[in-house]
Amino acid sequence: MATNGHNNLNAKLVLLGDMGAGKSSLVLRFVKGQFLEFQESTIGAAFFSQTLAVNDATVKFEIWDTAGQERYHSLAPMYYRGAAAAIIVYDITSADSFTRAKKWVQELQKQGNPNMVMALAGNKADLEEKRKVTADEARVYADENGLFFMETSAKTAANVNDIFHEIAKRLPRAQPTQNPAGMVLVDRPAEGARAASCSYGFQNLGTLYSV
Amino acid sequence: MFGTQSKRDLSLEIQSQIPILRPSIHARRANITVKFQDLYGFTVEGNVDDANILNEVREKVREQGRVWWAFEASKGANWYLQTHVTSALKSSLKFSALVNAITLKKLIRKGIPPVLRPKVWFSLSGAAKKKSTVPDSYYNDLIIAVEGKLTPATKQIDHDLPRTFPGHPWLDTPEGHASLRRVLVGYSFRDSDVGYCQGLNYVAALLLLVMKTEEDAFWMLAVLLENVLVNDCYSSNLSGCHVEQRVFKDLLKKKCPRVHAHLEALDFDVSLVATEWFLCLFSKSLPSETTLRVWDVLFYEGAKVLLNMALAIFKVFVKQLILTSQVDAIRTCFHTPQLSSKPIKMHAWGY
Ligand SMILES: Nc1nc2c(ncn2[C@@H]2O[C@H](COP(=O)(O)OP(=O)(O)O)[C@@H](O)[C@H]2O)c(=O)[nH]1
Ligand SMILES: [Mg+2]
Repeated sequence: MATNGHNNLNAKLVLLGDMGAGKSSLVLRFVKGQFLEFQESTIGAAFFSQTLAVNDATVKFEIWDTAGQERYHSLAPMYYRGAAAAIIVYDITSADSFTRAKKWVQELQKQGNPNMVMALAGNKADLEEKRKVTADEARVYADENGLFFMETSAKTAANVNDIFHEIAKRLPRAQPTQNPAGMVLVDRPAEGARAASCSYGFQNLGTLYSV
Repeated sequence: MFGTQSKRDLSLEIQSQIPILRPSIHARRANITVKFQDLYGFTVEGNVDDANILNEVREKVREQGRVWWAFEASKGANWYLQTHVTSALKSSLKFSALVNAITLKKLIRKGIPPVLRPKVWFSLSGAAKKKSTVPDSYYNDLIIAVEGKLTPATKQIDHDLPRTFPGHPWLDTPEGHASLRRVLVGYSFRDSDVGYCQGLNYVAALLLLVMKTEEDAFWMLAVLLENVLVNDCYSSNLSGCHVEQRVFKDLLKKKCPRVHAHLEALDFDVSLVATEWFLCLFSKSLPSETTLRVWDVLFYEGAKVLLNMALAIFKVFVKQLILTSQVDAIRTCFHTPQLSSKPIKMHAWGY
């Protein structure tokens, strides 16, 4: 599709991975530039959005950050259905989390959108001394399965923006008249980062007393 | 501060000397942002109008307190215990008991005063009865028996302790973590089908804040999972939760057909927002006092209040939802501060 200087793309992105791998932390780093030593545990899923400029286009990510506990698995299809991209996160200090990541990859290959851009993130790269999964092992796996791979750290911010940028670059740009699921071309200026804080706000004001 | 029996009268204390809020003020352009603690110690951030709402809420809570005290004075301290359907309506059908039952239902829908919550919840939910069927030492024995045991559930609990309402003045302390841990670990051994499910951490934490004693919080958790909520809400594949979601979708279609059709057209699944409501019983989405108002009804009337509350939230946002065609804007509709600054009408609590 010919670009006209303000080519805006909406893309649904889902984060999957074991509980505690750092999914929420990666999103928080990407969207707000922050890191919390203790991030509230995610129930169901949390929603965020963030816009990136890539070359001549802007990509607005609609990000679903999911809960990692095994029994929440049954909810996952609702979140990855129609997603244009997925980041599968594991924790480099946990071999179990890597095994779990591979299971997610398999599931997406079977059930997900066939054109989905998939990234494998080996998170907590700052904890080198506790490493259990080598970068080589993960890279080989990623290559074999058509994912791209990066080691990230939500704590130091290493590679966090990069992984989202790389996804944005890889999203199929040419849009036929019929949009593929999960991607909607919008013809209005991208909203700023204000919309990004959607799932923040914990206990707040309110009242039920209107009778 | 919330942890021991001796501090049971904390909320009474708060109630009797609720100050007019003089929050610290940071000017931000024309908007003034204020930060303060609510009745249960949660930090609240909002604008000055929000602060006024909170003052109004506190005034209403005090009023409710006066109504309850008046009942105690005229009918006796435990008048509400003689109203329960089984004890009153079925067995004796005494007219006064019937009147009491109707009065109680109305009263509870308007909110139980925080200071009475532990007592009223404990008896009306069936927790007291459940506890009375086992030896007095049940909870202590359980805690001692499971101490030091490591299971997948305990590992996940440990992982979530510091991630449960981080920053709360009592929950986020070593004492608070230890207390929450004992309740959750104890329960994971009581029912190994449930074990530990994320979401229960928030529920148990709020129960601790309300009940003040760990043991009572434990029994409230037990009665909630075993008697009040639909079955299997939290066990292995959350099947009960899936059922609830399904029922909610049907209800939304019936009660808010326009919203339902609109969301359907956008291919937006309401479960995307509602799952957290049902698994955390609104504790992560609504202000504490609002959540506990829902729980007041939950423990007396049962789990249908969760559906009604979810529906009420959707109704509040009908107009906004209809105008919205972007997924993130829909999600933003349900963003907590917005949710909470609107009065959520009681009409949706009817049938
Ligand atoms: N050292 C380190 N800790 C991290 C990193 N990312 C997340 N964490 C910590 O790991 C824990 C789990 O993170 P969280 O984002 O909640 O994981 P989630 O369950 O996958 O969402 C939290 O205590 C985070 O502070 C990282 O890159 N480095
Ligand atoms: Mg998370």
